[in-house]
Amino acid sequence: MSIEIGRDPPALAALSGLAAFRSRFLAQRNAVIGSVIVAIVVAVAIMAPLLAPHPYADTDLFNTWNPPSPENWLGTDKLGRDILSRLIIGARTSLLVAGAVLAITLVVGVIAGMMAGYVGGRTDAALMRVVDLTLAFPEVVVAILIAAMLGPGVTTVIVTLALVWWPGIARLTRSLVLVLREEPFIDAAIVSATPVPVILWRHILPNILAPLLVRASVGVGFIIMAEATLSFLGLGVQEPLPSWGGMIRDGLPALRSDPYLALFASVALGITIIGLNLLGDGLRDMLDPKLRGR
Amino acid sequence: MTPVLRVQNLSRSFAVSRAGSGRRELKAVDAVSFDVGEAETLGIVGESGCGKTTVARMILKLLPSSAGRIELGGRDITHLDEAAMRPLRRAMHAVFQDPLSSLNPRLKVRDIVAEPLRSQGTDRRAVGARVREMLEVVGLAAEAGERFPHAFSGGQRQRIAIARALAARPRFVVCDEATSALDVSVQAQILNLLADLQRRFGLSLLFISHNLGAIRHLSHRVAVMYLGRVVEIGPEADIFDRPAHPYTAALLAAVPQPVIDQPAAAPLAGEIPNAFDRPDGCHFHPRCPKAQARCRVEDPRLEARRDGHLVRCHFPQ
Amino acid sequence: MTVTPALLDIRDLSVAFRTEAGPREVLSKVSFTVGRGEILGIVGESGSGKSVTALAVMRLLGSAGTITGGSVGLDGADLVSLSEREMLEIRGRKIGMIFQEPMTSLNPLLTVGFQVAEVLRRHLGLAARAARERASALLDRVGIPAAAARYDDYPHQLSGGMRQRVVIAMAIACGPRLLIADEPTTALDVTIQAQILALIRELRDSEASVMLITHDMGVIARMADRVVVMYAGKVVECAPLADLFTAPLHPYTRLLLAAVPPVRAKAERLPVIPGTMPSPGAMPAGCRFHTRCPAALPACRERSPALEAVSPTRLSRCLRTPEFLAGSRGAAA
Repeated sequence: MSIEIGRDPPALAALSGLAAFRSRFLAQRNAVIGSVIVAIVVAVAIMAPLLAPHPYADTDLFNTWNPPSPENWLGTDKLGRDILSRLIIGARTSLLVAGAVLAITLVVGVIAGMMAGYVGGRTDAALMRVVDLTLAFPEVVVAILIAAMLGPGVTTVIVTLALVWWPGIARLTRSLVLVLREEPFIDAAIVSATPVPVILWRHILPNILAPLLVRASVGVGFIIMAEATLSFLGLGVQEPLPSWGGMIRDGLPALRSDPYLALFASVALGITIIGLNLLGDGLRDMLDPKLRGR
Repeated sequence: MTPVLRVQNLSRSFAVSRAGSGRRELKAVDAVSFDVGEAETLGIVGESGCGKTTVARMILKLLPSSAGRIELGGRDITHLDEAAMRPLRRAMHAVFQDPLSSLNPRLKVRDIVAEPLRSQGTDRRAVGARVREMLEVVGLAAEAGERFPHAFSGGQRQRIAIARALAARPRFVVCDEATSALDVSVQAQILNLLADLQRRFGLSLLFISHNLGAIRHLSHRVAVMYLGRVVEIGPEADIFDRPAHPYTAALLAAVPQPVIDQPAAAPLAGEIPNAFDRPDGCHFHPRCPKAQARCRVEDPRLEARRDGHLVRCHFPQ
Repeated sequence: MTVTPALLDIRDLSVAFRTEAGPREVLSKVSFTVGRGEILGIVGESGSGKSVTALAVMRLLGSAGTITGGSVGLDGADLVSLSEREMLEIRGRKIGMIFQEPMTSLNPLLTVGFQVAEVLRRHLGLAARAARERASALLDRVGIPAAAARYDDYPHQLSGGMRQRVVIAMAIACGPRLLIADEPTTALDVTIQAQILALIRELRDSEASVMLITHDMGVIARMADRVVVMYAGKVVECAPLADLFTAPLHPYTRLLLAAVPPVRAKAERLPVIPGTMPSPGAMPAGCRFHTRCPAALPACRERSPALEAVSPTRLSRCLRTPEFLAGSRGAAA
C-alpha cells in the first residue's frame, strides 16, 4: 500500500479488522472513559436487586430526609426510603426504558430510512412528510396525549419516546443510504442480479452501522434525559417505582434544607449521560479518518 | 450472425427547466448505434460529456433509456424490469473504474466474487469451486478469498473485480475506465489479463476509456464519441492509422506519447461545449480546423466510408 | 548537470511519515537540481515519493511528515532551515505551485479574479485597483477568453481547463522563477491537457523553470528537458530527455517505458513488472527494485547501489549500469 498525500483511507474501511479496531479504541481516551462509565452503570442496572441495600419501597416515616449515614449511605427521601437503593433500582428503570426505546426506534427507523433512501420516489416523499410532522410536536405534548389514552407509566414513556424518536433515526439512515447508493459496489450488486432486499441487508446495512452506532450511543443519553423529564412531570414512571427524574422532582421542593435527594439523583443522571456522550464522541472520532492521528 | 450486444438509436435525454430559457432538452446520449460481436472488443473513446459512461450504464440497465433499443444476445432488453432481467444478467457483467469503491469493504473477497453466482441461485458447493477457480484465473492465491478488500493493492482489487465479473461466465462484459485508476505498470498487467481472458473465454468486451493506448491495445473496433454522439466508428487500425474525422485526428495528436520525435501540433482550440448549448449544425464545428460554411448549418449524418468504417462529417479526410 | 548554478538544488533530502506503526521513511536522500529556464520532469508511480518531494520543497508536509535530513537550496538559502514565516514569503512569491485538482485548489466561495488579486495584494502589496488590473491581465495571459468579464466568475462556473488556467495565473502572479506542477493535467481531458501543457511550455520559455511531476511518460516526452525517475523514495535515474528515451539505463526506466500501451501501433503483449512497489515499512534489502527486476543478480540483494554519474549529464542507481553501457543497449530482460 502506498502512502498518498491528501487521500485518507476511506471511512468505510475504518472498522474492518478487529485488532485494528481495538488498538484505535484504546487510544481514544474519551471512548475508554465513556465505556467504563457506561459499563458500570449497566452492571449496576443488571445487578440492581442484589446491590440495593434496602428494599426501595420500604418507608420509614420516622427517618425522612436524613443526610448520609452509615445506615443510609446517601440519606433518605421524603418517605424515609433509602436513596441509594432507589438510585440503583432507578438505574435499571432508566436503562430498560432507554433500551426498549432504542430497540424500537432502530428497527423501525433503519428499515424505513433504508427503504426511503434506496427506493426513493413516493416512499421517500411519504417518509419525509412523517418526519416533518413529528418535528412539529414536542415530546411532552405527545406524552400528554398518550398518557391521556393509556394512563401514565412506563409503557406510556416507551411509546411516546419511540414515536418521537424513530423519524430522526430514519432521516439519518436515509441520508447515509443516499450517499452509499451511488457507490460502484452497489452498481456491481445490481449488475449481479442481486434482489433489492438482499442489497439492503448485505451491502447497505453493514456500511451504515458505524455512524448509526455513534448516533445511537449519544441518543441513548437523550432518551434517558427525556424519560427523566417525563417522569419528572408525572407522566412516566409511577410511584413507588423509583426513577431518577421522579426523584429529582421529589427532591426539588426540599432543595434548600435537604438537598441530598435531588443532588444525588442529578449526579447519577449526569454521570450516565456524560459517559454515553464520551463514548459516542470517542466512537465518532475513531471512525472519522480526518481526525485520526491528531 | 447475431451480435452479442446490439445498440440502436440509444438515447438519453432530460427535459430541464432553466432560468431564462424555459424548458430545454438536454441530450446526454443522442441516437447511438453499434454492435459488439462474439469474442470482440469494441473500444469507446471520448472526453467529458461525450456520454460514453451513460451509454454503458444504460446497457447495464443501471439507468433507464429515453429512446432506442438494446439487444443482448438477440433479445430486446430495453424495457425489461429487474425481475425479467434477472436470469438474463447472467450473460452480462461489468468492471468499474475505482478498484476500491467497487468492492464492498465489509465483505470477504470470496463473498464478493460469489455474488453473481448466489444471485443466480447456484448451489453452494458449485459456488465455492467456481470462486476458487476464478481467483486462480485472475492470478490471485486461493487464500485471498478469506481476506477483505483493504488488504489488497489497487491492481489486485481490480483483479478481484474481474473475477467477480466473470464468475457466472457472462458472454459480455462492460469495462468502464477499468484501468484508468491504476499505475502504468499495473495497468499493463490488467490489460494483459483482460486480453488473455477474452481469448480464453471468448468474451465480448465493451472497453470504455479516455486512454487511447489502452483502447488500441485491447480493441478490435473503436467508436469515437463527442457530445453524446458517435462521430466515427471502425476497425482499430483504421481509426488509429487513418482517422477520418477531424476530432479523432485531434484526439490522437493531443495524446502525449512516450517517444521523442513527436511533431508539435497546435492543440485543438476551445472548450468542450456544454450539453445544454450544443452548437448548431455539426456539433464539432466551433473547434474544427476544417470547418466550412456547410458545417455551421447542416448536421452531418453517420455515413459509411469504407467497409465497417463510418464517419459523421461533411469533409472526412 | 547544468553548468550555470542551479535554481533549485536538492541534496540528500529525506522525509519520514508518522504512521500507526511508527515513523516510516518515504524519501531517502533524494538529490537533483532544477536549472534555470528548464523543465525538469519527475516521473514515478504512486509510492515513488515524487509528490512528497514537491511538498517537502514547499514545506507543506503537514503534521504527519517531517524532513529528517538534507537541504533544499533556492538562490543560496536553504528552505529546510527557514521558519514558517519565512516560508510564507517564499510560497506564491518565489515558488509557484500548481496541483492536480483545480476544483479543490480554488476557494469555491470567492471569485476567480479575487483569488488571483489576493496573491498580488498579499505578496506584492498592491492596492485593490492595481491588483484587479494586474489580475485581469494575468487571466488574459493564461489564455482565458474575455478575461475582464470572467474576473467575477466563480470557480464552479468555469470548466476544468479554465480553472487550471486560473490556478496557473495565481502561481505566476508574482513572477516566481520556479513553478512546481504536480500532475497538473491528470484530471483534465486529453484535448484540454494539450492546451495546458502548451501553456506551461510557454511559461518556461518566457518566465520560469518548471518542476513537472507526473506518472505519464508521454507528458514527460513532450515537456521535459531533463528527467528524474523515482522509485520507492529514491532517485534511480537522471538524464536529458533524449538520452532517457533512446537509451534508458535503469531497468525500471526501461520497463516503465515499455509498459505504456502505444498509440502508434498495436503491441502484442505488454511487458509486465511483476509485483508492486514496496511500501515504506517493507523495503527489501539491497537495491529497492531488485525483487521485481528482470536483470537482478545476487549482488543486488546485498548491496544498495549509489546514484552514480555515468557521464556529466547522466546518473543511474544500478550495479549493472557499467555493464549495460559497455555491452549493447539491450539488458537481459
